[in-house]
Amino acid sequence: MAGPAMAAPFVVEASQPNLNLEDVNVPKDSQSRPTPPHPPQAPPGSIVAFDITSKFRHAVQTLGPGEIVKDGFFTLHESVSALEIMDPKMDSGCLEHGETLDVDYDVTQALLPEEVVGIIDQLLCHEMAWHLGYPLSQTVLTCVYIESILVPQPATLEEAHFIRDPNKATSSPMHTVLRAYCLGLLKACGQVNAKIINEHYYEEEDFVTNTYNRDLLDDFSVEAICQVLRHATALLDDLSESVPQPVTDALRHRLLLRHTLLGAVDSLQERNDPSFVRASWQRPCREALSNVGRIKETHALGRPVPAAFSAKLQRRLASTMPPRPIVHLSFDDAFGHLLRLLKDGIETANVLDYHDSQSLQTFVMMFQAAKPQPLVFVRSLLQGFLFKDMEILGGMSIRQLLDDDLSMLVLPSSVLLDRANDEVETPHDPRFIIAEQMEYFRQKAAQPFLDILRTFCQNRCRVRRTFCHVVRDWDNLQSDADDMDQILQYQTGDKPIPRALPDGSTIATYARPLWSWVFLYKLKQMEWIVFLGFELEVYQPDELAGMYYFLHELANVHLQHIGHIRNALLHNIGAIRGGPRPHVVPPPDAQLARSLTFIHYEEVDASNTMYLAQALSCLYVALHRLSLLRRPRRPYGTDELRYELRMKPFLGISDPRPPSFAEFEACTTMAEYSTDDLLDTAAQCAMAAKKGLESMSKLSEKDCFAVGSYEQWTQRVKSALKSGIATSLAVSMVQKALARPGRDGNLNISVEVPRPEKAYHEWWIVPQVRALSA
Amino acid sequence: MDQNEAREFLTSLLNKVFRVTTTDGRTFVGEFKCTDAQPNVVLANTHEIRRPTEQHLADAAAKTEPGAMKVKMDVMSRFLGLVTIPGEHIVKMEVEEFASQVKGKNPYAFAAVI
Repeated sequence: MAGPAMAAPFVVEASQPNLNLEDVNVPKDSQSRPTPPHPPQAPPGSIVAFDITSKFRHAVQTLGPGEIVKDGFFTLHESVSALEIMDPKMDSGCLEHGETLDVDYDVTQALLPEEVVGIIDQLLCHEMAWHLGYPLSQTVLTCVYIESILVPQPATLEEAHFIRDPNKATSSPMHTVLRAYCLGLLKACGQVNAKIINEHYYEEEDFVTNTYNRDLLDDFSVEAICQVLRHATALLDDLSESVPQPVTDALRHRLLLRHTLLGAVDSLQERNDPSFVRASWQRPCREALSNVGRIKETHALGRPVPAAFSAKLQRRLASTMPPRPIVHLSFDDAFGHLLRLLKDGIETANVLDYHDSQSLQTFVMMFQAAKPQPLVFVRSLLQGFLFKDMEILGGMSIRQLLDDDLSMLVLPSSVLLDRANDEVETPHDPRFIIAEQMEYFRQKAAQPFLDILRTFCQNRCRVRRTFCHVVRDWDNLQSDADDMDQILQYQTGDKPIPRALPDGSTIATYARPLWSWVFLYKLKQMEWIVFLGFELEVYQPDELAGMYYFLHELANVHLQHIGHIRNALLHNIGAIRGGPRPHVVPPPDAQLARSLTFIHYEEVDASNTMYLAQALSCLYVALHRLSLLRRPRRPYGTDELRYELRMKPFLGISDPRPPSFAEFEACTTMAEYSTDDLLDTAAQCAMAAKKGLESMSKLSEKDCFAVGSYEQWTQRVKSALKSGIATSLAVSMVQKALARPGRDGNLNISVEVPRPEKAYHEWWIVPQVRALSA
Repeated sequence: MDQNEAREFLTSLLNKVFRVTTTDGRTFVGEFKCTDAQPNVVLANTHEIRRPTEQHLADAAAKTEPGAMKVKMDVMSRFLGLVTIPGEHIVKMEVEEFASQVKGKNPYAFAAVI
C-alpha cells in the first residue's frame, strides 16, 4: 500500500500553495511571534503512511483509567496549553453542523459604483478600528476582497487581485478601483505595522501587530502601488458618461487619500531635515486633511455591501482563536479618528524644531497629555522622530541633548561641559579628568534621561507604571552623581557655598551640580507619579487628603532643592564676575540668564504645586471632619495596608523618604488644628496658588520653556488656575455654611468629588460644593 | 495483545508523525506525544489540513480537461501547534514512515488484525 497517492489523506494530488502562508516574514523586533514550523513537505514518494487505527484502539484498551503513555520530554504541564480539537470554544476550525468554510460571496460579481463607495467606507471604518487596537482579524481581514487579494500570496503585483482567473478578469472599472483602494489600504497597514513594531508599545494593550501570517504586500514598493492608484484614478475620468459625477468624485477622493497617505508615510524614513519632513509629511497630511471633508460629505452616496465582510474568514487565519465578531465602528466615529490621526500626525512633526531640552520635554508631555491620547501610530511616530537610530530628532547626539539640559539646569557656561576638555591628553591635567568623569556620568545618565521622554510616549497607565521603575534608576544615579561631584569639585577647586538657613544660621555646601540635576529630575518624577495617580483614578476619593498632603511634601522638598540650585548659580555668577578663575570659559551671559529664568520658572511651578496641594489637602481633611465626605466601608482592608500600597513606588527611594504611617496619619487628620484653622489655611494656600498660576500664565513661550507647545501649555496652566479658583470657592462656601448653620445644625451643603475628566485639570481633583435649598 | 506488548507498541509510536482524521473530515498532522485509554491523542507542531469542499471540487473539476484522471487543487492548511484530539472524534489514525526505511513492507501489517 505504499504510494503517495494512496497514503495521502485525499486522493487529490496536493500542490500546496497555501502552505507557504506559514513562512511569516520575521519582523526585526524581538516582540514578534515565533515562526511556526514548516508544514510537512517531503518529496512525493518518500513518506508513506500506514493505517493503525484499530491496532491503536486495541492497544489503548489495555491502559487502566488515568494511565497514560507519553514521551519522556513531554510534560503534562505543557499539555494544558494544547488546543482541544472539536471544542467550539477552543478550536477555531470547528464548524457548526451544516456550516461550511466557504463564504458564499462572489468577488467576480459586477459592482455598482455606489457599492464600491460603500465597501471602501466600510474598509475605512475597519482600518480605524485597527488603529484603535482591535486585531486585523476582526477588522480589515474580514473583507472577502482583501482575503482574495492576499490568498494565495501574490507573487507579482498583477496577481494581487481578487480576480486571479485571467478568463474572468474582465476590465470592469469598478473592480479596478476597488482593487486599487484595497492595495493602497493593505500597503498602508503594512507600513503602519512596521512603524509601530519598531517602537516601544504594548502588544494587545495598545495595538495588535499580528498579521496572522498574511503578508501585507511587503514585497511591493510604495511607488508601484501608487501607480495602481493613479491608474485607477485616471480610469474614473473615462466614466463620466456612465456614472454620475458625484459618485466618481467620491471614488476619486478616496483613492486620492490613499495615494497621499502612502507617499507621506513612506517619506518618514528621512527626518534629518525638518524642512524635508515638513514638505513630504506635513504638507500631504494637510492636503489629506482638507480633502477628507469631501469623503464625509459623499459617504451618504455609498451603498453598504455587508455580504462582502464575513467573520468566517478568521478560520483561515493562522490563529488559534475561534472567530470573534466583526468590530463595527460607526463611520462618523471612524472619520473622527481619521481626522484626529491626521491632525496629530502633522502636529507631531513639530517636535523636530528643537529649541532647548526643556521645551522638548514640555512638547512631549503636552502632546501626550491630550485627551484622548493620540493613537498608538502617532505615538510611535513621535518616538521615531525622537530616537530613531539613536539620534535625537534626526540630527543631535545624545550628548548634545544631555549637555544642553545640564547647562540649562545646573551648569551654565561651565568648564565641566567645555568640549575643549576632550582634546587634553595629559592624564594629570584637571581638564582630562573632568572630561573623563563627565563622559562616565553621561554614560550612566543617558538611559534614564531618554527614558523620561520614551515613557511619556506610552499609554497613560504605562506612563505611571514605568515612572515607578525609572525613578529607582534615578535614585541609583543620584548616589553615583554624588561621587562624581566630589571628584569634580576637587579638580575644579570649587569651594563650599555659604547658604542662609531659615533659622538665621548659615551652612556651607558644595554646589554638587550633577547630584542637583539628578535630584531635580527624581523629584519631578515622584510628583508625576502622584499626579498621574489622580489622573488615572488610582486614589479613592477618601484618599485624596493624604495624597495631596504627600504631593505637598514632595513639592516642598522640590522647592528647597531649587533654592539650593539657585544659590549655587548665583554664587557662580559672583565668582565669575569677581575675577578670573582657572579654566573658566568666558561667560556667555545668555546661558546664565537662561538658567536663572528656568530656575525661576521651576520655582513658581513647584510653589504653585505646593500651595494648591496643601489647600486641597486641608480642604479634604475639613470635609471629612464635617462628615460631608464619607469613607466607604472597607471590611477587607486597613488604612495601613492602603498606605503601604500607595507609597510602594517610593519605598525604595532613599531621599526624600516617604513619611511613616504614623506621620501620614497625623497629617491626614491634623488633629491639633481646628476645622476653622484648616479652612483658613486652605483659603490662604489656594489664594497663593492662584496668584502664582496667574503670573505663570502670563509668561512668554521662551520663559516657560514651552516653545512649540505654548498653546497647549497655556491651556493647561489656565486649567490649573481654574482649579485654584474652584478650590477657593469651595473653601469659602464651606466657611459660609459653617458660619451660618441651619436650624438643626445642618450645613445645607453637599459635596461631590468629580471624576478627573470632569475636573478642570485632571491632576487637581477639586471637590464640588453645592448649596442645598433649605 | 497483552498489556506489555500494547505498551511497547504505543511507546514505539511516540514522536512519530501521525495523521489523525476527525469526524468532521479534517486531518491533523503532528508528532505523537501522549495518549490515554479513551484514546485522547496529543500531537505537537500540528498542522490542520482541510479537505477541499464540494464546491471547490466542482470548480476544480470544471477547470480540468475532460477525461483527465486527476484533479489538481489546493488543500487548505493551517499551523495550530500543540493539540489534543478527543478519542470520540477520531475516525482514522495513520503513522508516517520513510519509504526508504520500510522498503515496501508494512511494519504495521498486523495492525488490522487483533
